[in-house]
Amino acid sequence: MKTPPVSTINTVAKKIVGRSESALTKKSIRESLVSVSGLIGRPVRDESGRDIGRLVDIVVRNDDATYPPVSGLIVKVGQRKSYINGAKISSLTHSEIRISSLKINLEDFQRRDGESLLDADVLDHQIVDVDGLRVVRSSDLYLATLDKEVRLVGVDISFRSFVRRLFPGSLSRLPTPDHVVDWATIASLTSGTGVVRTAGHRSKLSQLRPADLADLLEDLAGREQGAFVDLLDPNLAADALEEMEEEDLQGLLRGLPAERAAELLALMEPDESAEVMRDLEIEHRDAILANMDKPTAKVLRELISFDEKVAGGMMTTHMLVIKQTDTVESAIKLLIEHKERDVVDGVLVVDSKGRLVDHIQTIELVAAKSSALIESLISAPFPTAVKIDTALDEVIEEFSNNRGSSIVVVDEKGKPIGRILADDLVDALTSDEGRA
Amino acid sequence: MSTTKSDREKRQISPRKIRLAAFLGVMGPGVLAGLSDDDPAGITTYSQLGAHYGYRLMWTLTISTIALIIFQDLGARIGVVTRQGLLGLVRQKYGARSGILSASALVLANIGTMTAEFAGIAAAGQLFGLSRYITVPIAAVVVSALVLRGSFARVEKVFFALCTVFFAYIIAGFMAHPHWGAAFKGLVVPSIPFNHDAIYLATATLGTTLAPWGLAFIQSYAVDKRLSKDDLKLLRVDVWTGSLLTGVIGFFVIVTCAATLNAHGITNITDASQAAQALKPLAGTLAKDLFAVGLIGAALLAASILPLSTAYSISDLTGRPAALDDSYSEAPLFYSTFAAITVLSASLILIPGAPLITILIISQIINAVLLLPLLLYMFGISRDKRLMGEFSASTRMSAIYLVIISIVALCVTAMLWFTFAG
Repeated sequence: MKTPPVSTINTVAKKIVGRSESALTKKSIRESLVSVSGLIGRPVRDESGRDIGRLVDIVVRNDDATYPPVSGLIVKVGQRKSYINGAKISSLTHSEIRISSLKINLEDFQRRDGESLLDADVLDHQIVDVDGLRVVRSSDLYLATLDKEVRLVGVDISFRSFVRRLFPGSLSRLPTPDHVVDWATIASLTSGTGVVRTAGHRSKLSQLRPADLADLLEDLAGREQGAFVDLLDPNLAADALEEMEEEDLQGLLRGLPAERAAELLALMEPDESAEVMRDLEIEHRDAILANMDKPTAKVLRELISFDEKVAGGMMTTHMLVIKQTDTVESAIKLLIEHKERDVVDGVLVVDSKGRLVDHIQTIELVAAKSSALIESLISAPFPTAVKIDTALDEVIEEFSNNRGSSIVVVDEKGKPIGRILADDLVDALTSDEGRA
Repeated sequence: MSTTKSDREKRQISPRKIRLAAFLGVMGPGVLAGLSDDDPAGITTYSQLGAHYGYRLMWTLTISTIALIIFQDLGARIGVVTRQGLLGLVRQKYGARSGILSASALVLANIGTMTAEFAGIAAAGQLFGLSRYITVPIAAVVVSALVLRGSFARVEKVFFALCTVFFAYIIAGFMAHPHWGAAFKGLVVPSIPFNHDAIYLATATLGTTLAPWGLAFIQSYAVDKRLSKDDLKLLRVDVWTGSLLTGVIGFFVIVTCAATLNAHGITNITDASQAAQALKPLAGTLAKDLFAVGLIGAALLAASILPLSTAYSISDLTGRPAALDDSYSEAPLFYSTFAAITVLSASLILIPGAPLITILIISQIINAVLLLPLLLYMFGISRDKRLMGEFSASTRMSAIYLVIISIVALCVTAMLWFTFAG
């Protein structure tokens, strides 16, 4: 086997791991790749070449490194499956693994948190191909010695490599590195106890559109969905969840621990959260609400209690309210503070008793003098307001009559309690048109 | 919260209507996978069973219906819980070789079975005086256009419409004035003459009902329909309805043939269209027409489901997208598999002098041999806590699975024995 000298790989590796570049762009590393599917079942030998046993599985540790290191081997010695620490690996080729230490401790294997078995948990399992935006299956996995440790560096999703594994003998073990995808661009979602997670995933995943993430989530089963959500930044996860089909999302929420579900639902738009939670089982819903901070839980409880076919059930409670006696400057400050939310089209103006007076657009505020009072900007057109229990039909009518992009929902006293944006209306209209 | 809840309920439509609507939303996998098992090969087997042995072997239908219920239910559940098709899970749990071997066997068997479906269409068309060179290409085009161009919801609606054709067999059954007492006795009292033909037909009944492609189909279809764990209860109703309907249709085909053909000593039926022809002088032209129409519907439904099942399986195995709502560019492998199976099978029927009988027998053998490992894989998956979680099979359910697997093993052995030794 033509393995490049270990020392050269290590120097290259240090650079690569340190700068978190792709290891696979280096030719020397591509050439030293070892196929995991080919290695399973091959002999594990000591330094003098005597057989110790046959390789059953490879254990990797899911730390924050881009390329997870091999922490151990599961080897069948006689009839027993034993564990050999990965630090003892002295050489790795396509056809065998050699162990360095003279004294080999054979321990029973116990799965620990943060560890994955490459054959049992990753190979042939579903993985999310972040570049191709799809859920695929891994055809093969590749190991290489990087930074003095044997690491998982690549995954192969090609059909060719899948077929290659059918061939007998050494043909099935030869890597087909043309089709190797860098492990750093893959989010592996094993159904084992641990997800193989690397630092690379987060940055890559955060570049995806929420709608694409939602599609990927819908393609995964419960356990993998949870694992995938865990890989995402909570804000991004919440955005993706908003894009999911309601039933899929409910299924996902059932699979998550209540605290995690509460965290994500609190980050979502309140009207979207309420819509999803409305149809969850009462016990589950209460468990989630109990894990939220009091004000958020209160708002959601109220929204959930509205029928989804009336204004209260469609509205979002996110809105910016300002008194008519405030200045333009304070209104703009408020807008900047909330720039993350979908509310920056303008502010609602209320009188001293909190009743709705006007909706002032951001552009008007920007054009006005910053020291001017909001009062001075109040003028027609005034916003359309509806009551909480206004039916969907009437809301639609109001929308088409005033041609605006939003309607304000007010309580009996005329205080604004929410807004219905055009997209909320679209949601309300399409919620019934699922698959027949 | 309690007050608002009751407020909401007041405004809602009656709970019964909601339950019906919810069921209609879930319905599909069980009914389609079940009824497509009553394909021309199935109808032929039932006709032979009735014509040769009257009501005596009907208990085999009872056993195969039970086996169908149990394993279709398992397949649907695995699909919903894991959101993966059967072949994909086999690859994941039992390795790439097992996956590819099963898939290759499935593809070969499906091509053969699909050819049989087209043969059914050709034979039924000839009953109305239509040439196979017209009926088979039309059927192939209609089936492909439906699946390639329609959305999931539209495709499913057409499938349901096709299912209604099966009622023709029920009407034909009543027109034949069967001996109901003898029929029900035959359903529950097992007895069999120990000869080659009887045992062969008994095993064929099980083989034609519980087919590998049906098992692969129900699981993938449940995935494609995006059913969730909440739907499992309704899905069980769907599977039971579908499997029982499958049995009921089989029952009426058998009693029709038993009451007419068998009663008049016509026992040497070789296929379903011949049975229909033989019905004409005994039960009238209408009975013959009903039989023929039922045959066309059955063949069309199976001819749509079979390539679909193959396409799902290949995509599952290779981890490529497989959904009826995908466009061709999103799921090229899925649609090209569908087209390849359809075109290949239709051509086999149209080539003059193609060895059809050999193809049918070979596909029947592959189906029988493949069924056993597939059931064992499903059994293994059902016991896998990491895949199935809280839905993994209990000890009692496992015992039931094993009993059925043993019966299937016995039948497969008997069938192979008679195919090669007989």
